[in-house]
Amino acid sequence: MAIDAPQPDEAGMVLLNTDLTDVGKVPTHSDGVPAVELSDSTKTNKRQGGKHLPAEFYSHHLSDAAKDRQPSAILSLFPLENTPGVISLLAGKPNGDTFPFNWFQYSVRTPGNPDQETVIKIDDDALREGLQYGRSAGQQSLIDLLVGLQEYSHGRRVGEGWRLSVGNGSQDLINKAILAMVNPGDPVLLESPVYSGVIPMFQSLNCEMIEVASDPEGISSESLRSVLESWPAGKRKPKVLYTVPTGCNPTGATTSLRRRKEVLASARDHDFLILEDDPYYYLYYGSAPRPPSYFALEADEPEVGRVLRFDSLSKVVSAGLRIGFISAPEVFVTAIDSHTATSNLHPSSLTQMVVYTLLRTWGYERFMLHCKGVSDFYREKRDVFERALRMHLDGLAEWTPPDAGMFYWFKLSLHTPGSAEADEDSEAVIRTKALEKGVLALPGTVFLPNGKKTAYVRAAFSLLSDQAIDEALRRLKEVVIEARGLSGEKARLP
Amino acid sequence: MVTTAMPKITNGISAVKHLPAEFYAPFFSHAANKRKPSPIRALFPLEGTPGLISLLAGKPNASCFPFTSISFTARSPTDPSQQTNLELDKNELAAALQYGPTVGEPSLVNWVFGLQEYSHGRKRGEGWRVSIGAGSQDLLYKAITAILNPGDAMLIESPAYAGVLPMFEHCEQVEVDTDADGINPASLRSIMQNWPAGKPTPKVLYTVPFGSNPTGSTTTLERRKEILSLAREYNFLIMEDDPYYYLYFGEAARPPSYFTLELEEPEVGRVLRFDSLSKILSAGVRIGFATGPEPLLTAMDMHTAMANLQVSGLTQVMVSTLLNSWGYDTFKIHTLNVSNFYREKRDIFERYMRKYLTGLAEWSAPEAGMFYWFKLLLGGEEEDSETVIRTKAIERGVLALPGTVFMPNARKTGYVRASFSLLDEPEIEEAIRRLRDVILEERAAVGKD
Repeated sequence: MAIDAPQPDEAGMVLLNTDLTDVGKVPTHSDGVPAVELSDSTKTNKRQGGKHLPAEFYSHHLSDAAKDRQPSAILSLFPLENTPGVISLLAGKPNGDTFPFNWFQYSVRTPGNPDQETVIKIDDDALREGLQYGRSAGQQSLIDLLVGLQEYSHGRRVGEGWRLSVGNGSQDLINKAILAMVNPGDPVLLESPVYSGVIPMFQSLNCEMIEVASDPEGISSESLRSVLESWPAGKRKPKVLYTVPTGCNPTGATTSLRRRKEVLASARDHDFLILEDDPYYYLYYGSAPRPPSYFALEADEPEVGRVLRFDSLSKVVSAGLRIGFISAPEVFVTAIDSHTATSNLHPSSLTQMVVYTLLRTWGYERFMLHCKGVSDFYREKRDVFERALRMHLDGLAEWTPPDAGMFYWFKLSLHTPGSAEADEDSEAVIRTKALEKGVLALPGTVFLPNGKKTAYVRAAFSLLSDQAIDEALRRLKEVVIEARGLSGEKARLP
Repeated sequence: MVTTAMPKITNGISAVKHLPAEFYAPFFSHAANKRKPSPIRALFPLEGTPGLISLLAGKPNASCFPFTSISFTARSPTDPSQQTNLELDKNELAAALQYGPTVGEPSLVNWVFGLQEYSHGRKRGEGWRVSIGAGSQDLLYKAITAILNPGDAMLIESPAYAGVLPMFEHCEQVEVDTDADGINPASLRSIMQNWPAGKPTPKVLYTVPFGSNPTGSTTTLERRKEILSLAREYNFLIMEDDPYYYLYFGEAARPPSYFTLELEEPEVGRVLRFDSLSKILSAGVRIGFATGPEPLLTAMDMHTAMANLQVSGLTQVMVSTLLNSWGYDTFKIHTLNVSNFYREKRDIFERYMRKYLTGLAEWSAPEAGMFYWFKLLLGGEEEDSETVIRTKAIERGVLALPGTVFMPNARKTGYVRASFSLLDEPEIEEAIRRLRDVILEERAAVGKD
């Protein structure tokens, strides 16, 4: 379903044809608050006899907050605007003639040809759309393009019970998804260690955060199964599992195919849904083939519709844009759109237009080529970091190199005199000795949902030069040596 | 620009007294109180240590971002035939593309500080600060979440902006009357005087003081002062939602904002002000800003840090670049152009209202914003515009918004709201003419004429 991109001329210039036929009427509340289209049935659920889980199945997976949201009374009026000949005084949109912008233009490096640039101009109808209120779910043309990307990358098609919405970064969508699925006090399953940015979302709901062990192979399906099989009878079971399956933050681990399949089987056996938070999916650089996403794999399951997938453009296109997207069963995407209509209306129309024009210009293949360039960059940094780790911390730390993303997760072998291994605490060392020696890594405790101590630290290798990486790890070596109460030479583990 | 007395400045230090941080403790919701500061952020200041190499930040490397330049043009407010070409410089481009501060891009935040002084006479050091949001809607939502618990009572002008009603749906919404002069302090006073003893009093009043949506009314100066006085007397905060502030086109001098007027109070710090660029620069970029007491903004920022991190750097930098290139005087001229645009539309609408609906509807012409609010005189006992809209109006090819959607607590009303922002003159005339036919038909049906 790749869309042919306009070819650049010799100077590498492409002026986008801004005659966008898909710039259509945007249903909004009269105040400009975009309307939620509750049954956008042209885009979903039209599959003949599909094996996807029906909408009714999810009623026990929706939170009370999601069920409580009242549909907008104004919504029912907007279809009437399409009645031929009707003059509508409904929409409280400002008049775009007063917005002072004439055109917006950006240039991008051509993937695979870094000396070449493409210039993309946004004006006329495209700019008008980019400057005006839009739909809660996002710009339809962008959604269509991203749906095509999901087919290209994950083999999932329209009509399988899922829908796609654009958000203000994947963070925005994850937060709303959790609010749509989890009631206060609910138990939830989290891989551990876990992306620290998601912990406050569960804390604010007073969730019981059940940690599922993980290791260099990713989330432990054995640990997951064990937790669920020994679940106390009569106690409310967790309905949600949160995981970052590619280049996990902080561990860097990528969950193996074998384990992914087992997790999906557990999801079916124990009736929970999987929040697949995958911002490093396109930053995979392992020598083994990239494992398929949960979203892809579930298409082979007896029931389809247990995966809510979150994609982000922050690591591959731009973090400052704040554009992410969710691909999930219709009922959750609708709940999220409804929440968006109240909380922040919709993601920025202009940044959506930038992303749309960029992806349309490149097409999926060139986008993948770009992502390959990005993952090559991170692989090289990973190699530099690995070299420096072996040179300076061999015998003083334990680690497994990541195959995706930008994080190293390693345990400092502190062997603090008089301290049991379980009580090792990297945080104290970071705040004192490491600081003194001029190096900062992130204490692993911030990634443990229940705040336990740990000797692990997380280091990001995205930003530093090769020399800085080398020097940082050299300093860390000295920190560990000093913490172990040794002087001078390195000691090796027996 | 500012018409009220400025506070005394002694030795360069503002003498404005502001409410202390402790004052706000009872105003926070359970949700706000539960939030913990990010442990990672707590480490960031350490990065400033000279010579230190930090492996902390999980930011992606910007060299992977494919953008090499961003530029745009904007029409000059002083000469529409001229346009300014603006290109983001290296630093601006880097800021646009990378993760940035929760409160907003420094260049935009600084511009807003300056604007609040320029427009409202408020200076730094008075206990308030600024946060940028993904539209003022985003900031309203976070403010409400930071202050109100489910079941709390709050005061809301009625009718009210329909987009904010869902945010209050778990609260007890106590309606304060409004009329052509805006919110009615006598109604508010009466509510508070009759407040049940022992029942917790409302923490906030929500109001849109200029070109209120849907009524179009602008609250008079005298009433604003009374409201401020009531806020002090009954200890509530004022959420001043002001997206049409710069769309005021009345003949009388523009009344000062609550944010300005609170300078005349014994202490400042009861006003939480929301500005929006949606009606003056672009609705699609989603940029608004909250201005108010530091503790309230901090609570809102903590919510942002969890929920959506920050506003798009790209749109912030673009807007900031434009606004800084204009300066405040040119910005003011731009807003005057915009408000003139809406005044002309208002004049056209008024002309046809008088021509076709005299005796068939009741209304007051708005002096700000883009809405007309008028009661259809349908002749029946019950005042209900909704049925007529959904049946006869549609048949006759005209749609206005039934006023019932703006009632915090569902009730019928004979009012409708019409927006005059988008239509040209022939469409306005025809729409009102059709409404006339609708009203006449309905009146005939009930035997009125």
